[in-house]
Amino acid sequence: MKLIELTDVSRIYDETIVPVKAVDNVSLQIDTGEFTAIVGPSGSGKTTLLNLIGGLDQPTSGKILVDGTDISTYKEDELINFRLHHIGFVFQAYNLIPVFTAKENVEFIMLLQNISKEEREKKAISFLEAVGLKERINNFPTELSGGQQQRVAVARALASTPSFVLADEPTANLDSVSAESLLDLMEDLNEKHNMTFIFSTHDEKVIKRAHRIIQLRDGRIEKDIVTKKNN
Amino acid sequence: MLFILAWRNVWRNKKRSLIIIAAITAGLSCGLLASAVMYGMYESLINSTIDRELGHIQIHSIEFDEEKILNDTIPDFKSVLNEIKKIPEISGLSSRVIIEGMCSSASSSRGVKINGIVPEDEIKVTTIQKQIIEGSYFSSNLSAEVVIGKKLAENLDVKIRSKIVLSFQDFEGNIVYAAFRVAGIYRTESSLYDQSVIFVKQSELFSLLNSKDFSHEISLRLNSFQQVDSVYSKLSKKFPTLSVKDWKLLAPEIKVYYEILDIQLYFFMGIILFALLFGITNTMLMSVIERIREIGILIALGMKRSKIFLMIIIETIALSLVGGIAGLIVGVIIIEIVNSTGINLSAFTEGLSQFSISTVLYPVLPLSFYPIITIMIIFSAIIAAIYPAIKAIRLKPATAIRTY
Repeated sequence: MKLIELTDVSRIYDETIVPVKAVDNVSLQIDTGEFTAIVGPSGSGKTTLLNLIGGLDQPTSGKILVDGTDISTYKEDELINFRLHHIGFVFQAYNLIPVFTAKENVEFIMLLQNISKEEREKKAISFLEAVGLKERINNFPTELSGGQQQRVAVARALASTPSFVLADEPTANLDSVSAESLLDLMEDLNEKHNMTFIFSTHDEKVIKRAHRIIQLRDGRIEKDIVTKKNN
Repeated sequence: MLFILAWRNVWRNKKRSLIIIAAITAGLSCGLLASAVMYGMYESLINSTIDRELGHIQIHSIEFDEEKILNDTIPDFKSVLNEIKKIPEISGLSSRVIIEGMCSSASSSRGVKINGIVPEDEIKVTTIQKQIIEGSYFSSNLSAEVVIGKKLAENLDVKIRSKIVLSFQDFEGNIVYAAFRVAGIYRTESSLYDQSVIFVKQSELFSLLNSKDFSHEISLRLNSFQQVDSVYSKLSKKFPTLSVKDWKLLAPEIKVYYEILDIQLYFFMGIILFALLFGITNTMLMSVIERIREIGILIALGMKRSKIFLMIIIETIALSLVGGIAGLIVGVIIIEIVNSTGINLSAFTEGLSQFSISTVLYPVLPLSFYPIITIMIIFSAIIAAIYPAIKAIRLKPATAIRTY
């Protein structure tokens, strides 16, 4: 089922000074349940493409449809609301709120969605259990390892019940054991719950596990390889 | 949860928060003490004027109010006195005869206001008896006694038991001369008063004037300051043909001081808070700049910019209120301590007596001052937070989350 559709999308920075085409006329489609890696060398446009899909940036031209809705024409407030209800983010540097415990970090996204306190608490605990952090729910980020923090970030991403999860270099700051463990978790969520994951990555471990690899160069799609069919 | 987030953010950098909290505490408590000293000074001025001379309310004939001549007496003053005595709020009343005259000693003469009083009644209204510094406040068995101020005694070069001659016009315009002995010398907070007002028994004036009892002025003291307005309106209605005035009408200049004092003090505190505002803004700006990535993440996750704005405002209010409440508590403690001992300004007696201000000051602030100051702190915090909050909401999430 079609989840994301990009048509002739370009993103040009510093248009009036020295124009830089970070994404150049990209068209692609991502279906529900995909486990896709966007790869490429530094400056190839991975992060910009991820930002465009995630509504963190707007295209200079082209159209981005998510669940059939064109988000390329959205205003800032509409984009914030769209991100809150449709997208789960996992960032490279975990980026948890340092003054919140693991549970509060997961709860916070549901608070923004106006979910009741009881439901928030119940869901937060169950998501943290799902990522294997049942014993760590009341720990602050500084009391958790990098791998554990990234698991909390995954739980937070899932807590908003998003249409898909965008993960920007999620294993970049992790040791290989934690990285494999995190990928196991994500793969498991993808297989069992048909959750769509889109990664931007350099990491071979992620690329090896991806079901589809979109390779970028100079803002254009160089290769688009499906390595494993979706269930 | 937003409040919890804001509160915990305040304490992320404890040292920085404590420094600005200490600055607010110090600024506010010193400001409060300075305000309390000023308030105490004005209260001293008001109290000393009321205690020394005015009482809370005075009654005169309307003509006396305008010309202050001997003939302008209160008509049927005894029945007026009887009516007033029925009012329960009144703790003392003194009927006075007031004559402008001359006071002469062997070496000098001065114009004076001669207050003919019933000494036992006067002590229930004013504090002259307590301010006697030499001699005594009339003795019942001696006649022709006068109580004068220290400054007048110096000007006339007289001492206790010295003889002075009082001269004034009688009802027909003839000059009456009479010799009196100085029984007591008083000193009040006002040197002007001390050199121009003398007290004699009114019975002596009646006999010198060869007249029946009469009164120019009835001065009242009430059980409490708060009763002035209600008793004043009661008396005004009861005696429409007389001039009834409360202390504010009798001393309008003090009333004006009293009215503008609050504005002055709020303005003064406003200046202190305005200065602190820049420190608070700086602290919050540092806090926002340190958290650019985190704020970017919050926006990326879906936190509305209005909520980010609110979060920064709450953080600033929390920070300012902690300092503000600490400042209020420290300020109240200092004011209470200084109030219990008083501030001795006897080194400045000469200058202070020109303004009728006591040489021992008791700093005090009305309770109504504190909630208004708290509101001013919150208001200042909101102003201080605006720039950092705008800075926070203008962040672009895609850029902010990559800021290290």
